[in-house]
Amino acid sequence: MTQLWVEKYRPKRVAEVVGNKQSVQQFISWMRSWETGRPQKKAALLYGPAGVGKTSLVLAYGNEHGYDVVEVNASDWRDQEHMKSIVGSSSQQLTLQGTAKRIILVDEVDGIAGREDAGGLSALRRIIDETRVPIVMVANNPWDQRLATIRDRSLLIEFKRLSKTDIISRLREICRREGLECDEQVLRALAERAEGDLRSAINDLQAIAQGKKKVTVKDLEALGSRNRVKQIFEALRIIFNAKSLRSARAALEGLEVDLDTVYTWILDNAPLQIQRLDELADAMEVLARADLYLARMSREQKWRLMRYAVPLMTGGVALSRKTKPKGFVKFSFPDKIRFMQKTREERELLQSIARKVAAQLHLSSHKAMKYMVPFLRVIASSSTRNAEALAEYLSLSPKEVEYLAGKPLEAVAKASRGRRGGRSPSRG
Amino acid sequence: MERYVDSEGAGLLSAKVVATLPWVEKYRPKSLDEIINQEEVVASLKNILKTKAVPHMLFAGPPGVGKTATAHAFARDLFGPNYIEDGHFLEINASDERGIQTIREKVKMFARQIPMGGLGFKILLLDESDQLTDDAQHAFRRVMEQYSTTCRFILAANYSNRIIEPIQSRCAFFRFKPLTKNHIIQHLKWIAGEEGLSIDDAALEVIYDFSEGDMRRAINILQASAAMSKKIDEKLVYQVMGYVSRGEVRQILEKAIAGDFKGARDDVRRLLYVQGLTGSDIISAIYRELFYLNLPEEEKLELLDLLGEVDYRISEGATEEVQLMAFLARLAAKARRGKK
Ligand SMILES: Nc1ncnc2c1ncn2[C@@H]1O[C@H](COP(=O)(O)OP(=O)(O)OP(=O)(O)O)[C@@H](O)[C@H]1O
Ligand SMILES: Nc1ncnc2c1ncn2[C@@H]1O[C@H](COP(=O)(O)OP(=O)(O)OP(=O)(O)O)[C@@H](O)[C@H]1O
Ligand SMILES: [Mg+2]
Repeated sequence: MTQLWVEKYRPKRVAEVVGNKQSVQQFISWMRSWETGRPQKKAALLYGPAGVGKTSLVLAYGNEHGYDVVEVNASDWRDQEHMKSIVGSSSQQLTLQGTAKRIILVDEVDGIAGREDAGGLSALRRIIDETRVPIVMVANNPWDQRLATIRDRSLLIEFKRLSKTDIISRLREICRREGLECDEQVLRALAERAEGDLRSAINDLQAIAQGKKKVTVKDLEALGSRNRVKQIFEALRIIFNAKSLRSARAALEGLEVDLDTVYTWILDNAPLQIQRLDELADAMEVLARADLYLARMSREQKWRLMRYAVPLMTGGVALSRKTKPKGFVKFSFPDKIRFMQKTREERELLQSIARKVAAQLHLSSHKAMKYMVPFLRVIASSSTRNAEALAEYLSLSPKEVEYLAGKPLEAVAKASRGRRGGRSPSRG
Repeated sequence: MERYVDSEGAGLLSAKVVATLPWVEKYRPKSLDEIINQEEVVASLKNILKTKAVPHMLFAGPPGVGKTATAHAFARDLFGPNYIEDGHFLEINASDERGIQTIREKVKMFARQIPMGGLGFKILLLDESDQLTDDAQHAFRRVMEQYSTTCRFILAANYSNRIIEPIQSRCAFFRFKPLTKNHIIQHLKWIAGEEGLSIDDAALEVIYDFSEGDMRRAINILQASAAMSKKIDEKLVYQVMGYVSRGEVRQILEKAIAGDFKGARDDVRRLLYVQGLTGSDIISAIYRELFYLNLPEEEKLELLDLLGEVDYRISEGATEEVQLMAFLARLAAKARRGKK
């Protein structure tokens, strides 16, 4: 590959930096304050997600206004010694004219390592206090505890993810300069994939367009997934918005995620994406039908049943969704997965109890859990005597008995003394 | 009463433990004569006892109707009270060890050892064998033939259709049925007598209704009720069943009716995955509540129909959670429409 387009098209002038207009303005004013006298803060900390133009803004400004930008980043040693000798000395040196047209750019400050770069941050702090030239720092995560003293000394400028419009406009500009003809739809898809990161969008564009005169939607297929989660988000977007069974089904093609996982993602996103209850009921029903086909498929090894499940769980859901929510509703990580993580400890305890029950009662732990444990709970919570006897019979740990009883054993004792008479029954 | 020895035979259990040990265990039938209401099965097995020509057998039927108990009782009648200790009988639960490894190692190991004394063959109970993977089942079919001189197999299963054909064809088939109301109530009365409980007829009826012909469940309900009070009436049974499903099914329905589908869904997940209830427990509870919902009767009928469908799909192996969600979403939609 020839030159990387991200470098080739790194903004040369501030006007080329798209998006985050306010932050750009803030930065310009701060530089002006250096140029016209004493700034309130001698350092600026630009922070925000990757690939949105933080570094580019500093370089573009420097280039446009004739500054010499001295850059140190995570590829450099940044311990106390190095920091002093590189950053420290250039923050003091003056040019022959007596004024230094210099910006010191400390990129990736959040990457100054605790051990390998020992003393680097405190050296940087001192340098900021004494500097005679603007110091600009860049970070993705400025809230790290170790950056606290540096934050205090800096003007904080936040950068946000770029809008699709901004990304598209920059991509279009690059296409123009490359003499490339590019479908509007492709640009939109690239912007979508990028999730606000212009750098990755430009990289994607170059990957599919290099050496071509014209880029079409078909070329998009060449793009691999950046990662699984991103890929599945994209698939969900297609599925929920599909207008035909064919296109919904196609969303799963090439997806490197197993069907069960996709199913869970669709299942848990449906209530978010489908807000009318009647439409949601239709969607849940097609999902239930799909589930039935999948069950029959694996039960009876009838693999061809899969071909009915997939259109139901994708296109079926899309067709049920007749009314789109107002505004954009984000696709989200399935609650089910989170739920299972949150309840893990409790479920393990229950499993362990079930295994002990199974060992005594001639059934599997699975059946023990379903058929015995609910009753053992009632028995264990009825009196300490019962709870202790069960514990002995099943060799339960103290934690396990208390879990079965649903409360500490002292509380069981109190409750069983206070009972008799009973609460009102649930209706039958 | 007999002395109770724990399963390892390690020692006697204290009197306190015997008093509360799960009654399903305490009153587990020892001999074929104590098996209730499976008359045809018991008659055939007694015949086999006479001739001592034991075939491979498949015991199929719903949960809690005596399949495991019958296998043990049969072996005990055949080999005598030390049928396990003397190495004539082994029980392996396929549900906890579903893979091919179980067959290749555990099952084969037991099956090929020539038994000492006895009848020249042993019995291996492969319980919950419908849970075996397909591969494991295929591995098993050869074992059944290769070692049939030294070992006979009893396979117990809830779903005989999940047992592959070649295995079924090697077995004598025994169908176990849900127990009748009369038989369950008689048995409960007997246990109540042994335990010194007083229980009225209405309570017995209610327990039977909840049990749906599952003796294990009936006995469990009785014991849980007895844990609350020695005097058991209908009200107490409902109260206990309320604890068992924790009245939560009611709340779930209320959430769905209020349009809070996600809340209802999360509660169902709790019941299934944390509390370990079965889908059919939840369905039965919904079934009972359904008639009292504040909805037009036509809508209730449709929901009932859907619930039946959900019930059936689950019995076909569909995912409980997903099927219940479909029901709740429909309920939410109908309730919303009713309000407008
Ligand atoms: N706002 C923008 N306007 C124009 N080009 C941009 C913009 N943001 C990113 N780019 C393009 O992406 C490349 C990388 O941008 P830059 O280095 O400024 O990102 P950054 O925000 O500093 O990211 P990181 O936090 O990863 O360092 C640039 O060379 C440029 O081609
Ligand atoms: N027909 C019966 N006669 C007497 N007792 C029974 C009968 N069926 C069940 N029971 C009682 O219920 C308990 C559980 O029965 P068992 O373990 O045999 O059920 P199962 O049919 O094997 O169920 P599963 O399919 O869940 O394994 C027994 O220990 C016994 O107390
Ligand atoms: Mg059994």
